[in-house]
Amino acid sequence: MHEMSSAPSKSLKGIFARHEVVLLLVVALEVLIFSLLGRNFLGEANVSNIFRHSVEIGMLALVMTPVILTGGIDLSVGSMMGLCAVCFGILVKEAQFSPLLAALCSVAIGATGGGLNAFLIARLKLPPLIVTLGTFSLFRGLAEALTKGSKSYSGFSDSFLALGNSEVAGLPAQLWIFIAVALGVYLLVHHTTFGRSFRAIGYSPEGSRYAGLAVGRNISLAYILAGAVAGLAAVIFVARIGEARANAGIGYELLAITAVVLGGTSIFGGSGTVCGTLLGYLAVAVLNNGLKRIMDYELLDRKISDMASELSGLLTGLLLIVALAITPLLRILATRRSRSQH
Amino acid sequence: MKRSSFLCSLAVLCAVPFIGACKKTETGGAKDGKLTIAFLPKSKGNQYFVTCERGARAAAKELGAELLFDGPTNSDPAKQNEIVEGWISSGVDVIAAACENKEGLSTALRNAQKAGIKVVTYDADALPDARSFFVNQATEKGIGDALLDNAAKLIGEEGEFAIITANLTAANQNAWIKAIETRQAEKYPKLKLVDIKPCDDLKDKAQQETTNLLGAHPNLKAVISVCSPGVPGAAEAVKQAGKTGAVKVVGLGLPSENKAYVKEGVTQSVILWKVEDLGYLAIKAGAALADGSLKPGATEFDAGKLGKLKVEGDNILLGTPFAFTKENIDQFDF
Amino acid sequence: MMRKYSREIIVAIALILLMLALAAYAPAYFDPQPLLSRFTSQAPALVAAIGITLVIIIRQIDISIGAQFSMCAVVAGVAAAAGMPLPVAVLAAVLTGAVMGAFNGLLVAWLGLPSIVVTLATMVTWNEALRLWQQGRLMNLPAGIQWFGLSQSAGQGIVIGLSVVLLIAFAWGMRNLALGRYVYATGTDAEAARLAGINPRWMTFGVFVLTGALAGLAAVLNMVQSPQVQPNAGDGLELKVIAAAVVGGVAITGGRGNLWGVLLGLLLLVNVNPALTYFHQPPYWERAIQGLVILLAVVADGLQRGKKVKHA
Repeated sequence: MHEMSSAPSKSLKGIFARHEVVLLLVVALEVLIFSLLGRNFLGEANVSNIFRHSVEIGMLALVMTPVILTGGIDLSVGSMMGLCAVCFGILVKEAQFSPLLAALCSVAIGATGGGLNAFLIARLKLPPLIVTLGTFSLFRGLAEALTKGSKSYSGFSDSFLALGNSEVAGLPAQLWIFIAVALGVYLLVHHTTFGRSFRAIGYSPEGSRYAGLAVGRNISLAYILAGAVAGLAAVIFVARIGEARANAGIGYELLAITAVVLGGTSIFGGSGTVCGTLLGYLAVAVLNNGLKRIMDYELLDRKISDMASELSGLLTGLLLIVALAITPLLRILATRRSRSQH
Repeated sequence: MKRSSFLCSLAVLCAVPFIGACKKTETGGAKDGKLTIAFLPKSKGNQYFVTCERGARAAAKELGAELLFDGPTNSDPAKQNEIVEGWISSGVDVIAAACENKEGLSTALRNAQKAGIKVVTYDADALPDARSFFVNQATEKGIGDALLDNAAKLIGEEGEFAIITANLTAANQNAWIKAIETRQAEKYPKLKLVDIKPCDDLKDKAQQETTNLLGAHPNLKAVISVCSPGVPGAAEAVKQAGKTGAVKVVGLGLPSENKAYVKEGVTQSVILWKVEDLGYLAIKAGAALADGSLKPGATEFDAGKLGKLKVEGDNILLGTPFAFTKENIDQFDF
Repeated sequence: MMRKYSREIIVAIALILLMLALAAYAPAYFDPQPLLSRFTSQAPALVAAIGITLVIIIRQIDISIGAQFSMCAVVAGVAAAAGMPLPVAVLAAVLTGAVMGAFNGLLVAWLGLPSIVVTLATMVTWNEALRLWQQGRLMNLPAGIQWFGLSQSAGQGIVIGLSVVLLIAFAWGMRNLALGRYVYATGTDAEAARLAGINPRWMTFGVFVLTGALAGLAAVLNMVQSPQVQPNAGDGLELKVIAAAVVGGVAITGGRGNLWGVLLGLLLLVNVNPALTYFHQPPYWERAIQGLVILLAVVADGLQRGKKVKHA
């Protein structure tokens, strides 16, 4: 697949700076449209909703970034959320663990699951797409088997539910955790030699090995981190909706991947930034929320807000295609033009 | 820089036809003293709730109220919560909700009540403290009893039966299955539930599962489907197995989706209520709650074209579910 | 010979063991009627799996195949419900599939976009567009569509026959036709293929179009099995066929695999669930077992490859 990816440009840095600028404009345009057409879009309650409803996906997108930077992919994070949510529920409700201890266990279980991915991918050198397709079924399957499919856990203490439903210092409580994770991943990827190796590995695994990088260990870390954060996201998810069930996080892996790719990270690895991912996530989160607010306009005799769920999927898909296609399209146009000038 | 500006103009160009196709609603801007009612289905892309929505729209029109409608398009259990929280922050007056996840959605509905929004539930109830009234088309017990009673009658209260459900995590279906199991233990000692299979709300998968069930349990007498795509799926499997009439098919579903099989005698009875009336009643009740004409403790509710309906505790009763059979299925158009 | 087909042999052994267990503990599994119904209902998946196999061999992926299947089913259903003759409906479905495939192909082959992201985007787009269009309505088809208007056994025969003929034709073509070899060549090394005079872009584009058309045909083969069309009929199909291809030994890195392996992989995967039913086991282990089968297949692949490297 590498052959067909876009050729590396002369000033890589310039391109990505610009990609982020473009994304920022997209987000700004969304905000502008929704605040003009939407009802109460910029109200405090709604802005806090935008984040409360999406930090889980945002966290998955953040840790998906290093994975994709190494040239891998992790389809199992959504299923991992389901498994961790169920384990969390069992630990709190049946084993009478305190929520904090259960949350730590949830993160540990996530890391262990990520470790399984890491072992198969980094040690046995198996293709990430297939390995995580397998664990995608396996983790969700275990969650269903543990609950016999039907059992769910609810009735958590108010102090725990506050994690998902209250505000701390003016921001939703879980947003603070998100900010911490974002900062951590940013520092890891952009400000440590360890993190910078992710891109090197994705760009050229062989070259990195010859350059003395511990390729296997670094790839492993990316998957373990993804699993651990999926475990954390599961806890936040349970705190938000007040119920732990095997279907938590269903489909979130695709949303996370969408945010990362929209953010300019190459799916082949080697290039991309955490800031890009954050902007990509923001673009998707704002779109999801904003369409629900357009209650005063109709399209084909239905209120836009009545079709918000369908339209946000549709527009995210189109946005993804446009965002990806624009660079190669322009390049083709440019070569045509320069040819015709000669 | 040139490229960014090109991209921007391209984005604007893309957006123009979209925005151009939009038009402002006739009623125009937001709050002009009109009642705003939000109507939440368990899922979108489901004929059952499309029919509910039709009734809800009729009621809203009658009341001169604004109706908002949105629901999940996938099985993400957080989606309903997100939609309700969106409505809370946009300041609706009434929310009428059908709960996919009882405990989960109750969290959001309680927040709505705290914000001064009147909450009624319909189709599937929330926890009692999360809403004022439940518009009750049939309780979990009512549905379970109706399904099992019908099946039991058809097979002479004796023999094996199996259940087709939506998916293993569907809260509502699980509650019905539990009701069926309870009823069986209490009333039909000679009936035996041999298996429960999920069909992921796919008709074709229901057919495959039923084919396997028929083969694996040769003494199977009846298949009960507690999800609507499962009923025609199970019927097709029974028909292909050449067991029409020998294995009875009973389920929850819409007449239009089952007409052919019911007429052929593959499906014996489909249990449902007047779905459109359910949506209508939910909106009526919500509006009455908001204008104060319906108060906790009421024993009767005047539901417009549906006449006066009984209120039991905090349940407004639509009436008992009834069975569509070969004889009466032609009278219904939904 | 043994080494070349080792994956197929492993899968075949697993399949035979499963069958033996069934024969011993649940002989009713092999009663002709349920067997025939089971095969018929999986035949569309086989047709879709042919398409996905070509895509993976040419080193791409198509996760929009389930969405394409749904869209084609609805198009065929709408055409049939409007009273058009069946051949027109079939043509409409196949053409719709080909157009959607061409859209993927255009973005992947000419703009050089990664197929996993392109098809992720088109998957979401087609699915949501369908939901807006049909709102989940189960469509009733006129009489004469089910089983092509023939008897049930004749219809089942045609559905199974057609998919088996397609399988044989493609399996033969991939081995013996120049175009088939070109697919392998492009998947192994697109640049080398280009130097050898193959146009990798046209090959990739063509494979995507073909996959779309096959998804359309699969949708039709599914439609004729019942008198109704469900607008989300293809939900989850992509996972099923990709898993079948992987278990059947098609290398996700392109250039390796064959359709007989995929047939075995599909047979193994689609028999796990019925087997659970026949062994009277609860259904909630199904997904975990499927995940395990995929993982075992891929681990077997890795170990085998590791051995080869050591030998070399």
